[in-house]
Amino acid sequence: MSEARVEQQPRAGNGTALLVLVGMGIAFALIVALLTAAKSHNGPIYGEANMLYAALVLYTGAATLYMGYGVSGIERYASSATILTALGFLANTAAVAHRWSVAGRPPFSNMYEMLLSFVWTLALLTLFAERAYKVKIIGSVTMPITVVSVILMQLLPSDIRPLVPALQSTWLQVHVTLAMLSYAACAVSFAVAMMFLVQDGMKSESFQALTSFGMSAVYAAMLITRFRGGALAVTAYDLQEKSEVMVERGHALFIQIPDLGWLYLLVLVSALAPLVLYILGQVQKNRALFDMASKAMFITIALQALGLAIFITRVKNGQYTSPVAEGQFYSTAMPANPFLLAGIIGGIVAGLLYLLLLWRREGLQKMMPSSDKLDAVTYKVICIAFPLLTLMIAAGAYWANQAWGSYWSWDPKETWAAITWLVYAGYLHMRITRGWKGRRAAWFAILGFGVVIFTFFGVTYLLPGLHAYAAG
Amino acid sequence: MKSVWTKVYQTLSSVKTGISLIILVGVFSAIGTVILQRPTSEPDVLQRNYTPETLAILDRLGLTDIFHAWWFLVLLCLFCLCLIFVSIDRWPNAWKVYAKPVRFATAPFRVGLPQSVKIPVRNPNEALSVAGRVFARFGIKAQSTTQNGESCLFGETQKFSVFAVYIVHMSLLCIFAGYILDGVVGYRGNIAVPEGEVRNTITLRDNKGGESKKVLPFSIRCDSAGMESYADGSPKKWWSKLTLLENGKEAVSKTIIVNDPLTYKGIRLYQASMGQSSTPKTLSFDAAPVKGGDPVRLEVPLNGKAALPDGETLSVLRWVPDYYIQDNEVFNKSDEAENPAVQLGVTNANGEVKKAWILYRQANTTEGQDAPYVFSLKEATWSQYTGLEVSHQPGQFGVWIGVVLMAIGLVIAFYTQHNRVWAMVLDDGQGGKVLWAGGTSNKNRDRFQAKFEQIKAALQQELGGTDANKES
Repeated sequence: MSEARVEQQPRAGNGTALLVLVGMGIAFALIVALLTAAKSHNGPIYGEANMLYAALVLYTGAATLYMGYGVSGIERYASSATILTALGFLANTAAVAHRWSVAGRPPFSNMYEMLLSFVWTLALLTLFAERAYKVKIIGSVTMPITVVSVILMQLLPSDIRPLVPALQSTWLQVHVTLAMLSYAACAVSFAVAMMFLVQDGMKSESFQALTSFGMSAVYAAMLITRFRGGALAVTAYDLQEKSEVMVERGHALFIQIPDLGWLYLLVLVSALAPLVLYILGQVQKNRALFDMASKAMFITIALQALGLAIFITRVKNGQYTSPVAEGQFYSTAMPANPFLLAGIIGGIVAGLLYLLLLWRREGLQKMMPSSDKLDAVTYKVICIAFPLLTLMIAAGAYWANQAWGSYWSWDPKETWAAITWLVYAGYLHMRITRGWKGRRAAWFAILGFGVVIFTFFGVTYLLPGLHAYAAG
Repeated sequence: MKSVWTKVYQTLSSVKTGISLIILVGVFSAIGTVILQRPTSEPDVLQRNYTPETLAILDRLGLTDIFHAWWFLVLLCLFCLCLIFVSIDRWPNAWKVYAKPVRFATAPFRVGLPQSVKIPVRNPNEALSVAGRVFARFGIKAQSTTQNGESCLFGETQKFSVFAVYIVHMSLLCIFAGYILDGVVGYRGNIAVPEGEVRNTITLRDNKGGESKKVLPFSIRCDSAGMESYADGSPKKWWSKLTLLENGKEAVSKTIIVNDPLTYKGIRLYQASMGQSSTPKTLSFDAAPVKGGDPVRLEVPLNGKAALPDGETLSVLRWVPDYYIQDNEVFNKSDEAENPAVQLGVTNANGEVKKAWILYRQANTTEGQDAPYVFSLKEATWSQYTGLEVSHQPGQFGVWIGVVLMAIGLVIAFYTQHNRVWAMVLDDGQGGKVLWAGGTSNKNRDRFQAKFEQIKAALQQELGGTDANKES
């Protein structure tokens, strides 16, 4: 085994520089594109906006270095990445502290503030996991998540809004703190479970199918909610007022970008193609189909990048209408469409991570702890996440009981939190009583995080409910 | 008969059934968040989203009110039964481990232990006491048992850890019991109390959207109510000063705000909304003397009087918010101040009363009626009413007890482990003696393994031997 690795060393070395360059180039292009689209900030140098910007730059550097470490295996990259993460974490802490002191309350009241806290927790947990469990490579999964989140935050309305009476409760703060901690722990368990699958020798085509499935789910969700006869519905945004255009209280006006719906339908089809080819290949036992699936994967990643570019240009230039708008034309803006943007960027990042895996698998495997250790760490992290999840639901129920007179009313957010809890409870039972280890357990942990993502984003943007506060 | 019971018991006490039930509850809960639910969505929203045929089918299947459907409750009850049966089934074993530990490690038992070591000893008589000292150094108090002339040292730590799972399962039952109790005897309703008035009848909503009335065992008087707003107009605080009257006496008084309800005799009153009542606090009239002279402006409290310039008094005899006339009589048709009518009375010094009507929308004047002044209604000040949510949920204490129990149970489950160690002096089969030591743990096997390695090293150091297991 060790001989084989020695032999592969030079071959891997050749592609490395190219790959690092390509990866950095893509990351750079992505960030520049998004920052141009993002709002410009000013204020005191120590202020929240600047500190967050510093955190973004540092986290991006850390993410690139972690990925560079993943690609090249050079230890120095990992240690520099750790330092950048720590610095970014400090800047992030300053941003949280500044916002807290200006608002006079912890930053948990809307999607922007929750992402701010989520990123903070995730960076903290990454540093912790690195020290405690010695899994350096974890940053290559978690840091891109923080980068995407911070970019997303630049696009969300960030003005400090006063709290409506229902949100003025200590229990709410407890509830949201626990939610952030438990969701971040779930994210870490997901990352470690994915690493387990890599280390455990799951075939690259299976990863490809998984990535294709994830991308398709995201695009399907976007199209189900926003496809309007070939057009794509986006939220109207008043550039002067810097606010969404409302039809009535709580209902934003949707306008339609013509033809973009068709493009995204095409992207969905291209994202589905690798999965379909993979399934066909499995059924017909035909390796040629797997090769076609690989090609389809490159096509969909390229198409998705194109889709993002067209989305940005069409959002920035042009005014649109819809049957509801009665012939009036409105502009739109990136801040008004966080859900679409998160989906598109999430898809692209998943694709890039897949490419990283495809090209540098052996190098990655060498850097990771043994599969047994990764399996144990997944379980341990879930052992932390599960009690936090339980207490989070309990604190939420207690708050609901104080504010609305009912501790459980089966609203979608509550129900999905309970479903998340059930999934992890199922994981623990299978693991403890049935001795589920390894792949099955890893798949379970991945499913759990999928449900967490749906609870966090999907319920807010896809399902109606009492939790409309979060969308603001 | 017996075999049927055995079968039912076996089915319900298996983990497989439990997991299946968890999956079913999860799937139906998820469906309940995708399909609009009757209790939370307005009927017209349902009608807008579904065709009448679809709606009829969904209604028939109970899918528009899943969380209150009989079959969902049956699922939850089965889940409870499963928890109970699983616990009963596993209890004897756990109790045995707790109360009657295996103090003597017989030969077959020794073979089954995951961790063990054999160390050659020169001085067999002291070996056990050395082992006892080493165990004690690692926090394990060990005692010796003798069987058939052989002595075995046994020690254990955190043995209550075996009950963790029962505590968690019981806590879930507690929560379900509380929830079911609330479903059976609890109620939720709302009531609007205008400032200064007393009310005792609440409106209950059932899950089908119907309404019914319920009389509380006390009356609610709203002494005052109000709201504060932020500079941008969003609500900051809603408050009401309430006094509860029981048998005509003041029982309790409190100013409630959102998130801080008033609880009395198990009934909780929440600040839910605030509004203007359709009954005015005061009415202002212009009064022009019929005999000539300047008109004067008078403000009359609804239940009070105001002095007229020539010594008469003006009072409001009737306030009809939404009047209609039938058979020359004035009637009211709603509580909304849509089409108000006011009957005024002018009392002169002799106590004679002259009455006149103002029909605000038709003729805002009393001209031509038998009164010494011509009145017209100019202004009205309205009293606030406070919208209260009233709930009686005696089961919530079960829920909170369950939550606390669950927190305790989960901490025990995840952060304690039952470690057991044994030590014996045995023949090595070649005329010599060895110290055998073995151990096991109920969870976190890897952590225990690390600990056992330390114990092993310490034993070897104390006894000056190496692991005979490895040598052989």
